[in-house]
Amino acid sequence: MILAFDTSAAYVAAALCDGRSIVATRHEYMARGQAERLLPLLEELLAEAGIGWPDLDAIGVGIGPGNFTGIRISVAAARGLALSLGIPAIGVNAFDAMQPDLARAVCPAVPGPRKGAYLRDAKTGDIRLAPVEEMLDLMQDVALATPDPTALPHQIARVAAARLATGQPQPRPAPLYVRPADAAPSSDQPPALLDD
Amino acid sequence: MGDTLTLLGLESSCDDTAAAVVRHVPGHAPQILSSIVHGQAELHADFGGVVPEIAARAHAEKIDLCVEQALADAGLTLAQIDAIAVTAGPGLIGGVLSGVMCAKGLSAGSGKPLVGVNHLAGHALTPRLTDMAAFPYLMLLVSGGHCQLLQVNGPEDFTRLGGTIDDAPGEAFDKTARLLGLPQPGGPSVEAEARAGDPKRFRFPRPLLDRPGCDMSFSGLKTALLRTRDQVAADKGGLTRQDRADLCAGFQAAVRDVLVEKTRRALATYMEASPEAPMIAVAGGVAANQSIRAGLEEVAAAAGATFTAPPLRLCTDNAAMIAWAGLERFRAGQTDDMTLVARPRWPLDTARAGMLGGGKKGAKA
Repeated sequence: MILAFDTSAAYVAAALCDGRSIVATRHEYMARGQAERLLPLLEELLAEAGIGWPDLDAIGVGIGPGNFTGIRISVAAARGLALSLGIPAIGVNAFDAMQPDLARAVCPAVPGPRKGAYLRDAKTGDIRLAPVEEMLDLMQDVALATPDPTALPHQIARVAAARLATGQPQPRPAPLYVRPADAAPSSDQPPALLDD
Repeated sequence: MGDTLTLLGLESSCDDTAAAVVRHVPGHAPQILSSIVHGQAELHADFGGVVPEIAARAHAEKIDLCVEQALADAGLTLAQIDAIAVTAGPGLIGGVLSGVMCAKGLSAGSGKPLVGVNHLAGHALTPRLTDMAAFPYLMLLVSGGHCQLLQVNGPEDFTRLGGTIDDAPGEAFDKTARLLGLPQPGGPSVEAEARAGDPKRFRFPRPLLDRPGCDMSFSGLKTALLRTRDQVAADKGGLTRQDRADLCAGFQAAVRDVLVEKTRRALATYMEASPEAPMIAVAGGVAANQSIRAGLEEVAAAAGATFTAPPLRLCTDNAAMIAWAGLERFRAGQTDDMTLVARPRWPLDTARAGMLGGGKKGAKA
């Protein structure tokens, strides 16, 4: 049994999956309050399925890209759950999650800041933030597929299950920020030391 | 007297990621079974201060590792812990959230109760962890992010007698170090430099010393230091080592004078209530400054109060103090549920108007 969840945008979405089937799933849209809602929503999901935390085999968690704080909310919770339950937590990015369901000739994109979007290079796998102008051009030629919170947690669970099935040890989930932290080096330059 | 309690504590409100395990057998001194602190100084070194997003990123990927290490060092599993305490504010919200969410995950998975702790209460209750201090005692909390004079009446009962209306002294020490090309953190490097300096050569302002009460201000002092530095440097195209030492000594003397005088006034107020075993305790990294500490010891002695300073590792940010503050709350029957809110602002003394950031979002501390 895999519990997967994602808070990388303005929602809390979760699914409880057994093999290929969805046992229970839930999503709620909210601009804020994910940190307060996430665990209660997960507990409601477990209760609906009539199981408890110890019945889980693994956690699947969305690592973005997306809202930095939102991603951290889920990743930090997933790491705490993994440690306390003694089960793996597997981080899945939105592109890997969506990939199996993509129709041909559709371009996956994850909404980013300032109306831009994150794109993944089909050849190199590199993910970058494309500005709005580039996205407008791109949409002339190709249809975009963006993460759907009603489907995403199940998609994450599916990828997590596949990785678990490889039997390989899985790294702890880490947010996929794509962009560096916004910070400028200090401009304070101390005066020269005359007797150095 | 109650049962033996063992608490896990998590702290991530500024630039230290920390986890610790504390045990208390009623009637005995509390024991720190483990205390892990991962600092982030090198991550922020190039930016002249703590960058909130960089701090949050580090906390989110470090806090569970700290918890694992703290449990291993204590030789315990989560099953042997009675409750999980976590800093829920005040602080840099991205870091606080990372700690709170990890703690919720730990609590949900283990079935152990969750206890949200005010970071400032962690500092303020440290004398009970280290010295079994009896209520009420006076606390000068003076760190990189905070500066308050508190009368500590109970685990959740604090009276704020005064505090800074702008910057904390620790910030001013860091800024001074940057302005003079000294390494971070500024506290120890400015103090070391000041030992060779003449505190009387440059006269820096003592803000609010001429006003009644225990409130303080340190932002003007930073500006004064910058102006004086520029004047000296403009005259001869740079600073000599002696100039730098004298600037540090003058700056430190100003901070000391303000802290000592405001503490003296707070002590007088506290002593009016005739506490049975009068005590003043300090917390926060600035309390490590020997010159400031000597001044505080003098005012304590003059007022007939004992002076207590926890060891430095428990003065600066750590999770043992969070585990202890959580233990005191838990013993009093207090826990939180999974809707525990991470708060950037959270004044200890809710009866008084906030001093900092009193905008529509409310007081910071």
